[in-house]
Amino acid sequence: VIVARGYDVVVVGAGHAGCEAAAAAARMGARVALVTLHRHTIAQMPCNPAMGGIGKGHLIAELDALGGLQGWAADRAGLQFKTLNSSRGPAVWGPRAQCDKERYVEIMRRVVTRLRGITLVEGEVMGLMTDTGAVTGVRLADGGRLAGMTTILTTGTFLGGVMHSGEERRPGGRHGERPSIGLGAELKGLGLELRRFKTGTPPRLKRSSLDLDRLEVQEGDDRPRPFSFRTRRVQNRIACWVTRTPPEVQTIIGDNLHRSPLFAGVIEGVGPRYCPSIEDKVVRFPHHREHTVFLEPEGLASESIYVNGLSTSLPRDVQEAVVRAVPGLGRAEFLRYGYAVEYDMVAPGQVDRDLVCRGVPGLALAGQVLGTSGYEEAAALGFLAGVNAVLRSRGLAPFVPAREDAYLGVLVDDLVTRDHVEPYRMFTSRAEHRLVLGVDSARERLMAKGVRLGFVAERAFHVEHMRWEARRTARAALEANPLNPDGPTRDRIREIVGVELRAPTTWAGLLRRQDIDVDRAASAAPDLTGLTDEDRKIVIGTLRYDGYLARHRREIDRIRRLRHIAIPRDLDPASIPGLSREVVEQLRRHRPETLAEAEGLPGMTPAAVAILAGRISRGGGA
Amino acid sequence: MLELMVHGSPWIVAETIDACVAAGARVARPGEFTRRAVANGKLDLVQAEAINELASAETAWQARMARAQVSGLLSSRFAELKSALTDLLAQLEAALDFAHHDIPYDREAAVAGRTECVELARALLATAAAGRRVRDGVRVVILGPPNSGKSTLFNLLVGHERAIVSPHPGTTRDLVEAELEIAGVRVILVDTAGLGETPDPIEQEGVRRARGAAAEADAIVQLWPVDGHPESPRGHDDGVPVLRARSRWDLAGRRHAEGGWLPLSCVTGDGVAELRDALAATVVEEVVDLGGAVAIGRRHREVLERVVRELEASDFDLPELAAEAVRVALDGAGELLGEVVVEDVLDRVFAGFCIGK
Repeated sequence: VIVARGYDVVVVGAGHAGCEAAAAAARMGARVALVTLHRHTIAQMPCNPAMGGIGKGHLIAELDALGGLQGWAADRAGLQFKTLNSSRGPAVWGPRAQCDKERYVEIMRRVVTRLRGITLVEGEVMGLMTDTGAVTGVRLADGGRLAGMTTILTTGTFLGGVMHSGEERRPGGRHGERPSIGLGAELKGLGLELRRFKTGTPPRLKRSSLDLDRLEVQEGDDRPRPFSFRTRRVQNRIACWVTRTPPEVQTIIGDNLHRSPLFAGVIEGVGPRYCPSIEDKVVRFPHHREHTVFLEPEGLASESIYVNGLSTSLPRDVQEAVVRAVPGLGRAEFLRYGYAVEYDMVAPGQVDRDLVCRGVPGLALAGQVLGTSGYEEAAALGFLAGVNAVLRSRGLAPFVPAREDAYLGVLVDDLVTRDHVEPYRMFTSRAEHRLVLGVDSARERLMAKGVRLGFVAERAFHVEHMRWEARRTARAALEANPLNPDGPTRDRIREIVGVELRAPTTWAGLLRRQDIDVDRAASAAPDLTGLTDEDRKIVIGTLRYDGYLARHRREIDRIRRLRHIAIPRDLDPASIPGLSREVVEQLRRHRPETLAEAEGLPGMTPAAVAILAGRISRGGGA
Repeated sequence: MLELMVHGSPWIVAETIDACVAAGARVARPGEFTRRAVANGKLDLVQAEAINELASAETAWQARMARAQVSGLLSSRFAELKSALTDLLAQLEAALDFAHHDIPYDREAAVAGRTECVELARALLATAAAGRRVRDGVRVVILGPPNSGKSTLFNLLVGHERAIVSPHPGTTRDLVEAELEIAGVRVILVDTAGLGETPDPIEQEGVRRARGAAAEADAIVQLWPVDGHPESPRGHDDGVPVLRARSRWDLAGRRHAEGGWLPLSCVTGDGVAELRDALAATVVEEVVDLGGAVAIGRRHREVLERVVRELEASDFDLPELAAEAVRVALDGAGELLGEVVVEDVLDRVFAGFCIGK
């Protein structure tokens, strides 16, 4: 008899999803086994050296407000900080940082190896232990077994991974690493449907072989802003460079397209449209004569330069020809060639909101195996899977933010209720309540929950609480304090803002005007003087959103009310005219108790929800 | 699905239905089949709306318009608007989500996109009036001084003695309406009290009502009797077509009618055929600006007006605010096609159905 060691949670894979899952569960007091092939591959950034951005930066901010690790670690490994969309309003600011990859790995490794409650297990998972359809742990290659109430799979690109580089094709999950072969078959055996996805990465070039002096330099922000409330200050340490592919790249690629696994039909997996390879871009946008290329250092002391924009799986000689045609890269030496990787993921619609597979108790998923792409999406899902594994083991309700409360909610809801045929990446356009989900409000929205989960210290909460209260007070004062067009005030406004004050107004009224220099006006507003620059920008930015914010609040109230409407038990969906057969089928199978639950079922359209709501409000039973 | 063909006898039909019900079937609710077709994606809401209109069409133009709508002609115009809005939104969202790539926010292009969408919506809104005329009828109002033969003409056009006719001026005091079909178009013909100075308070009220009817008219028949009133009546200058006739022409003797005036005698029948033809041409003119027989209904008009309002009030300086407005407009387009349903629009749409469609 083989005795399995017992854990609360077994996490398979120590990437961004696995690390957050293990850390969250352990910090809640659970006993966690974190299984990885090698301890030096923990929390790698196998693709680009950047964290955050638009949508992704929102996820980091929310995860940080809850007490997750990614933003905190990225601050410490960060080399250059830049907020994208900073000229727009606060809802779409996208904080982003170039990171030192090695440093990031070091920081995360230190956390997960030192955190009390995590047992790091180096080994290969060969299969799952099951008991009457439920997953009870994992089997290791060395014959060992790890039993867990919940097993969280975060297999990344390793499940049935195949790597492509030109005509070359070999099994692999990541550069230099073997894939996982048997696990996929076991998942199918549990009744899960798998789907094939593809992703890719560009070449890495040797820094000293590049003519960087000739290229346009990209600096970070003048005032770099950290991701985390736990970070006081960050600093820019590096620059990046920008160059462009010349028109002849089109010819080089066109002549060799038959050697591309993507176009020769060798790759069957579906890749992300928003992150196309250079061969994709050349074929799909033949009228674009140039494509932008960003050169991003992979570390402070690293010789490796990431060639953002040249993701490719073309043969090596073609990669060389393409790269060397680009200004500044004429003598480029390759440290690593670009490749594409195909892998298995669990098709959408097969997990519940706590990320546990439907019909397979004990098995939760997070990261690329759920069909997402990106470090940030992986970390967010890992965190939620870890927290919910612990809550479930204690018989508590799961923690799942709603779509209108957080991008985390949008992420989970999309993965649970909607089909997606390509790797899923977060965009702000996915959030219907984008204006209320800015990074500026992430702490206000989620930090209290972080405190309740035990991840955020009360004191830190109070510091932030004071900040948003100060913004609120300033905001109210701007609306309340009159600005009358008397002599001295008129002169002052004319001098500072450059407009003529004709009718009585308020500072809020003045700052909403589109014909003024808002920054200059803000500097003169007495109610804003007590705020930091950032808080001032937030207050002013939100002023312009006003009418739309009110509309969102009404809509959110409506959704929340909907959520609490109970569906009568004796309601026969087939008796409701206007529902499609598919919707009737879903309602019969899942028997939702509230309209909100019904809304989350696959195939439910807004029309169907409206019909259902109408029927219930008329008091219709069976 | 089982389809039963039985003999046309109402008794046999009733027996068959009773037998089915006894076996466990139930009689379909009003509009249920159409509603199911919409729910299962066989028809869109716009097509479904026209099915009832088609079934209850009374004139050739009503049938023509309903048929065009059932065939999807109006849906495709809505789809065109939706597609333009989607393009605009995609442009805005790309500028927001891919700011670090090569996609800057092109405010001018976005504003041009908005203009295009507003124009598409306005073009559809412009068909509302023609649609109403086809559905509710073209209102043709007969105007003229007292005793100019309005009621006689009215009865002649209607085909029977609908209005009281007498040799005394001021016989007609209230509005008299009759429905008829002219050139395949539903027409509401309105007889009015004679316009003129009168001390009688009842006649004054009649004159007031006649002016009210004229203000709401789609077309006017203006009578000017050859005897009695020497001055020609004042014209209407609000764009409503006016047919002018010198009535009681049998009393004219040997003279020529003034330019633009049709000689008309309801006694001899002279000019009646010509007036009928001119009226038919005018009525058709009033509904033909239905490009391709497409016209929006009241539900569509409410949504389209909202879409235009939303787009025109939007702030395109900030792409995220522009996107908010376009998202709302896009919801409107989805609502037109029945993809996005607010509260019980469906109930409203299907409320007008009778059994068995």
